[in-house]
Amino acid sequence: MIVDKIKKREASVKNKPSNIDIPIGKWVKCDKCKEIIYKEELRKNQSICPNCGNYFRMHINKRLKLIIDEHTYKKFDLNIETSNPLNMEDYTKKLKSIREKTGLEEAVACGTGKINGEEVVICIMDSGFLMGSMGVVVGEKITYAIEQAIEKKLPFIIFTVSGGARMQEGIISLMQMAKTTAALTKLDEAGLLYITVLTDPTYGGVTASFASLGDIILAEPGAMIGFAGQRVIEQTIGESLPEGFQTAEFLLEHGFIDKIVERKDLKETIYKLIQFHKRDKEDS
Amino acid sequence: MEQKKGDNGEAIAKSMFEMAKLKVPIISIVIGEGSSGGALAIGVANKVLMLENAIYSILSPEGYSSILWKDSSRFEEAAEKMKLTAKDLYNLKVIDKIIKEPNENEEEDFKKISNNLKKEIKIIVSDMKSKTAEEIVQDRYLKFRNMGEFIRRD
Repeated sequence: MIVDKIKKREASVKNKPSNIDIPIGKWVKCDKCKEIIYKEELRKNQSICPNCGNYFRMHINKRLKLIIDEHTYKKFDLNIETSNPLNMEDYTKKLKSIREKTGLEEAVACGTGKINGEEVVICIMDSGFLMGSMGVVVGEKITYAIEQAIEKKLPFIIFTVSGGARMQEGIISLMQMAKTTAALTKLDEAGLLYITVLTDPTYGGVTASFASLGDIILAEPGAMIGFAGQRVIEQTIGESLPEGFQTAEFLLEHGFIDKIVERKDLKETIYKLIQFHKRDKEDS
Repeated sequence: MEQKKGDNGEAIAKSMFEMAKLKVPIISIVIGEGSSGGALAIGVANKVLMLENAIYSILSPEGYSSILWKDSSRFEEAAEKMKLTAKDLYNLKVIDKIIKEPNENEEEDFKKISNNLKKEIKIIVSDMKSKTAEEIVQDRYLKFRNMGEFIRRD
């Protein structure tokens, strides 16, 4: 549902006649204020529009750089691939071409790293890989990461961005919601800290599983977060939705999110939360 | 309507989380059309049974074709592709047992189906009786932990 919406939005952006004389690849248009921005300037500004403050989606590598201390990230070596359970034509081919295009293995990267010297297990999703959708590989990688956090007794941090369960893998994608959730009960029993950071957009089966289960749930300003897309809800209930529905700010107000944190403060906030809970543990 | 303020994603997540921890056996039975998070929210069970003609899927075929092919009129094709029948799901190890449904949907059949179901529930309950609470939780955990096959690359 939401994937559909996002794809449409992207398509409409692409289809607009933006063939003004711009050197391809150096400039990018802000979705919100429509301003043309120099990519280098955007990069320096942590992928936030310098004109209107709109948050751009971040590539895994950029996010890692923003959150994890330099040279401390070690990815888990899990070389796995989907078995294509529905035998979808072109699906394996499509995955291959996205891998080549994005330089990503899948829609999530998982490993260990340090945040101001504090070791954590971290998972980061990427909307550039089939809209961050969760199939068996994403489910398995996240579950494995949770198990590693338990084994190493480390805090577990996840940055979400997703359209939801991956349609191409059908019911098996749906089952990954239960798989990751069940693994989180073990993390909970082990008494380890779990922080989720919801970024724009987080939808569907990801919202309805690990994204909503953090001990502490943070979100980036303006992030859209929900289960079903707004159009679908409106059509189903036959009523228009309240202003700001599904924004991080709205969810904070209604108690679903603990804090909205600006991108520049994320690392420090997570670090403080880890410190705080560490002390708690030593006291008890 | 109030529940819509927060959407229902969190409710699904919490329901699955609690089910995964429950210390008694859980049996879920798909009796009609089960789809998406709403079905899974009550589907984290030790044993998942399914009536022979029921369906269980990631999304309705209409929604599925609309998302994947941007064309909801291709729902028949989607239904073929999605592996949503009891037999398909049994082969994918998503469900544990298919409950036979005789041919017609008449009162007599309903009794037969109910009896079949009763028999299966009795078997599961008596099997589970000898298990400790920890074993029951672990049994359920492993069922979902191993959900979905993947290929290891070298």
